[in-house]
Amino acid sequence: MTTDRDSALLRWLFLAPTMLGIGIFVVLPIVGSLVLAFFRWDIITAPQFVGLANFTAMATDRTVGISFLNTAVFVLFAVTAQLVVAMLLAVLVSSRMPGWLRVFFRSTFFFPLVLSAASVSILMKYLFNESYGVINWLLSLLGIPAVPWLTSPQWAMVVVIAVYVWQNFGFSFLLFVGGLSAIPTEVYEAGSIDGATGWRQFRHLTLPLVSPTVLVASVMAIISALQVFDQPYVLTRGGPGDSTRTVVMVIYESAFRELEFGRASAIGLVLMILIMLVTAVQFRLARRFVFYQ
Amino acid sequence: MASPSTLTRRALLGAGGAAALAGTVAAWPRLTGADIPGRGQDALTILILGTSQDAAGRQQIADAFMETHPDIPVLIQSVQATDWGDFFAKILTMVASGTQPDIVYTATEGAQLFAERLALPLDDYLLRDAEEMRDYFEDVHPSLVEAFMYKGSLFQLPLDFNAANMYLNLDVIERNGLEMPGEEWTKDDFTELLRGMKGDATPYYWTNRLFGGIVPWLYVNDTSFLIEERAAGGEGFWSTFYPGEQRSGGYLWTGSNATDDRVHESFEYLRGLVGEGLAVRPEEGGGNTLVGLFASGRIGTTPAGGYWVQGLAEGGMRPEQYDVQFFPKWRSQRHQFGAAGYAVMKTTDKPDQAWEWIKYTASKEAMELAFPTPSTTPTRRSMVSDSLYTGVGPEHWSRFYETLDRFPDTGPIPAPPQQAAVETALIRNVSTALSGGPDLVARSLASLDADLRDVFAEEDPS
Repeated sequence: MTTDRDSALLRWLFLAPTMLGIGIFVVLPIVGSLVLAFFRWDIITAPQFVGLANFTAMATDRTVGISFLNTAVFVLFAVTAQLVVAMLLAVLVSSRMPGWLRVFFRSTFFFPLVLSAASVSILMKYLFNESYGVINWLLSLLGIPAVPWLTSPQWAMVVVIAVYVWQNFGFSFLLFVGGLSAIPTEVYEAGSIDGATGWRQFRHLTLPLVSPTVLVASVMAIISALQVFDQPYVLTRGGPGDSTRTVVMVIYESAFRELEFGRASAIGLVLMILIMLVTAVQFRLARRFVFYQ
Repeated sequence: MASPSTLTRRALLGAGGAAALAGTVAAWPRLTGADIPGRGQDALTILILGTSQDAAGRQQIADAFMETHPDIPVLIQSVQATDWGDFFAKILTMVASGTQPDIVYTATEGAQLFAERLALPLDDYLLRDAEEMRDYFEDVHPSLVEAFMYKGSLFQLPLDFNAANMYLNLDVIERNGLEMPGEEWTKDDFTELLRGMKGDATPYYWTNRLFGGIVPWLYVNDTSFLIEERAAGGEGFWSTFYPGEQRSGGYLWTGSNATDDRVHESFEYLRGLVGEGLAVRPEEGGGNTLVGLFASGRIGTTPAGGYWVQGLAEGGMRPEQYDVQFFPKWRSQRHQFGAAGYAVMKTTDKPDQAWEWIKYTASKEAMELAFPTPSTTPTRRSMVSDSLYTGVGPEHWSRFYETLDRFPDTGPIPAPPQQAAVETALIRNVSTALSGGPDLVARSLASLDADLRDVFAEEDPS
């Protein structure tokens, strides 16, 4: 006979490998990183305690300041575009159409997400090449002169955002498709009797009813966008100048190019706090804007 | 009628567990890496930048070495990295984790980082085996050796190098009715040549990095973005191996020179080329990505070294379709070069064995095994010959090595121990400087100056 004690032991036994993995590969590095933020360490010499120096240096560090600004701009435009595109396509795919076509669109829109971000970015780098890229070739057919997509500070961030949105909107899209399918058809039938069609139907029925999904999608999209690295690193290496340098890029460069692990940890800590704050604000705002049935 | 299964769930789970255990035991050598040749032995470990195929390619040298030194097992390991900076960071990570190699194949970009912090000076060994080494030094240009001297000590023997020469696409030149320029051509001749290149080909394509980017243009304008000095020392070495040569104890880059007028002038020249549509805005990345574009006639000129020859041949470019010329003259015709060689880690417990490897790989026999094709320029003058380039290389392949003779002030990539931070600052500000109007050049150089001052002001923790 299995006792409660045996049962509890068994539960812990099943949980142990996962907890051990999380402990070793997640918790310990986070704690180590927190501690390192107060040290100067270049890997090969012993860490040197510097107190808050890494944090105070951040305040006057031009690159760090620009990277936070770039990241804010990136998050604002990338997340907005990602959610709008995903919602638009989800509504279209949820409208009347043959089942096979719906499956085709769902798969197609989700497909970029399963590709490696580095591979996609390398491919996009060729497409957006100023001299030999397909994009400029197509524009030239329309008589439009070549655009320095990746080598001009004005365009580089636009391309980084576009590539990121193209690859990532599929996740929000799937969430929205799920959210839309959960809305009872009776609601729309009742709405149409009251004259709510088209935009009014979307504004006053669909959006409120799908708002819990929008909250989840936006929280996940913002957290992910705040950590953007692959696309700007491969496409522009943060350039031209610092125009596409993001916070995580600065963390990477500080740690693995300049061997300033303390500085990298300090920036990482600030980014973590920022993500927590933004998420908390989102949930706070959700009380006003999210409608639960 | 089939009888019902008598296999219980417990038996099934037990069988599954036994199978998993048997699988784990069978795969144990793979899981622990014990099946990797040389792993677990007390082998001399040599680390290179590249893929496992690159490591396998060098196995031939290791095998030849072990034939003559059967008591020294050698293990060649590779580390993949996006560039030298990335490679050095990975080596430092290995050092921190206690899995450092005994020897590392490293380039000029990391020469001073290694010399300052990681590598063992070779001076004592060189003096001890001076007679054996004389053949090598008689065959190698002293400029290449001087690039691996640091504060009077030699840390590496250069085995291959590449100077930033100018590659010219003869298809593009002929298509536009232009002529191949002469060796004494100037930057104005270069500009006119670019202006004559019409059609689809980009007249000048270049990459934003330490080698072959802005620096060759600074060197020919008799300046640099860093203050360049020479260290004292090394007299014993020079008098032993290069009697009569007036050489130093190595290069020192001691601070920012970014606000120098000539630096501004060089940046402004390149900005003008970009503005006139004669050159692309520089993109970051390796020059090898341009091989396909150059081979297909879509690039008129680009700076590169001898390492391009094999790539172009493999890309389908015939030797008569392109040629190589010295970099155009401005105030000088000083060229930039980068070299590479093995450095012995000072943490090694096998310094004598490591020195045997260094000696062997500098021999002509080993270098012929290492460089069977012109995918780089061997530092031994005797190897840069018809036999290496006939049927593959451009008509004037001899310029790859002659660069060093014709322009004795030709110097290495400016790479102080803080190379990673210096390169980051340079790349960042070059791209800004060339992406706008003339005012942006001055602002970017001021920014570069500030960045470099920060880099050099930081206290060296070592």
